[in-house]
Amino acid sequence: MRTAHLAPDPSERDHQILTRMLSDAESLCRSQDALLVGQYCHLRGRIAALIDLVAPIGAGEARS
Amino acid sequence: MTTAGAQGMRQGDDPRQVPFLESARLASLAALSRTELEALQLQKLRRQLQRLYRTSTYYRRRMDEGRIDPEALTSLDQFFEHFPLSTKGAFLADQTEHPPFGERLGIAREAVALVNMTGGTSGQGQEIYGRSQHDVHMQGYMHALPWFLAGLRAGDLAINCVPAGGLTTGGWGPGEGLRIIGATAFHVGGSTSTEAKIDLMLKIGEVNFIYASTNYLHTLTEALVRRGLEPARAFPTLRTLFIAAEGYPIEWAQRIEALWGCRLQEGYGSTQCAGFGASTCADGALSASGGRGLMSLFEWETLCEVLDPVTLKPVASGEMGELVVTNLSIEGSPVIRFRTGDAVRFVSHRDAASGRAWNAIECGTIGRFDDMMKIRGNNVWPSAIDAAVFSHGEIVEYAGRVYTSADGKTEVEVRLALSEAIASSGPEACSRLVEAVRTSIKERTNVWMTAVLCARSELPEFSYKARRWKDERQQGYRL
Repeated sequence: MRTAHLAPDPSERDHQILTRMLSDAESLCRSQDALLVGQYCHLRGRIAALIDLVAPIGAGEARS
Repeated sequence: MTTAGAQGMRQGDDPRQVPFLESARLASLAALSRTELEALQLQKLRRQLQRLYRTSTYYRRRMDEGRIDPEALTSLDQFFEHFPLSTKGAFLADQTEHPPFGERLGIAREAVALVNMTGGTSGQGQEIYGRSQHDVHMQGYMHALPWFLAGLRAGDLAINCVPAGGLTTGGWGPGEGLRIIGATAFHVGGSTSTEAKIDLMLKIGEVNFIYASTNYLHTLTEALVRRGLEPARAFPTLRTLFIAAEGYPIEWAQRIEALWGCRLQEGYGSTQCAGFGASTCADGALSASGGRGLMSLFEWETLCEVLDPVTLKPVASGEMGELVVTNLSIEGSPVIRFRTGDAVRFVSHRDAASGRAWNAIECGTIGRFDDMMKIRGNNVWPSAIDAAVFSHGEIVEYAGRVYTSADGKTEVEVRLALSEAIASSGPEACSRLVEAVRTSIKERTNVWMTAVLCARSELPEFSYKARRWKDERQQGYRL
């Protein structure tokens, strides 16, 4: 489990974790398994939405 | 509030503050100054417009038309002044030219994971919305948010009286929202009779939350009272009644709170808002003084303007205007400066006195500028009924009324005046015609209405715009 370099602020920490998760989910979305790829995209969508919902207020404008 | 209270609530906490004590995220949003909130809106808006400029021909054209460069957008005022408004008609034309979603879709067709449509009873057509996986979660959140604010928590037992599934946002959003919160939900809407719902609720016992349309909450309450049950005693753990969709008199809300022994909360939602765009939070549909409460707008997700429908200028606090909405996070079929046609009383954050910088709209008085009637969950426009009735040439005039029956149900009566020729053709022919008109109305509005014959002299003459409809439902909300 990757826990290094996490921000001390809880909302920034959550955002960091979700951003990493999004990167992993996007890797999964490149799966060649036709049964799984839709489920991975479902997972990616949930993570992307959560990034929108927890994005630190006043932070930069980077988008998932 | 009942003794059950919200989980984690400490003795002495103001119940209206509990959601903000239990969620740091909500506390951050509630603590924003107006300047900070508008900075957040601008940041999200710029991101949305930048994305749509790349992905949506419809919106790129509108930005070009308004000479808006999303990369150079520096203020919300710039957006309000120059971004052209969209209407239902414009969306329908876009869909007709580029079926099924139109060029406003903004995501790949293959990325559409949920299709939602508006009711289609306007007589104009149905707007189609293609939502991404991201949006499915957002729609759930836009239902979960007002319910969390209203006291719903993980593990609570919830009764959803709104019909689930189908093509509407209101059919899918509640299920997602209840799952996001982690509540145990019984989706009883549409699938069971009122009596069966009551039987089930009595078996469940510890119900914490009920979501229903205003009219259906009335029906449910009436049915309980008819059975000799006192709702507050039958469901002592009930924490929240949450209503949406229809207006009501203040006296009705007071009576409902007294009968159920808990707070009545209200939300304003629509497909265009991708769920709820405002709610009473934990403040109640009735203010502390017993007047109408306020629904705070979730402005960091949906940018809201309230405009005079004629001048298209913002109305002052306390005035009625048309709600215009812009989605800040929705990816698939987002609305940007969309005229909802909904008439709302705007209350600025300064006058709302909620302690938050969120603007608000008044509870219980949402209407339509275009005369749409909300009947049994369907948006029904008089123009659609005109079209149905007058598709039968034998009908020369008609008048309709929507009212609340003695047993609390919404009823619709249409009085039909026949041409002399058909009127003299005998009772059987007249009956067949009346039935045919009823069927035509049902096909166009999804509502069965009672149709009766009357003499032409009983109906008014119209010299300008026809006013054939009367909505008498508020008179029927007496318990």
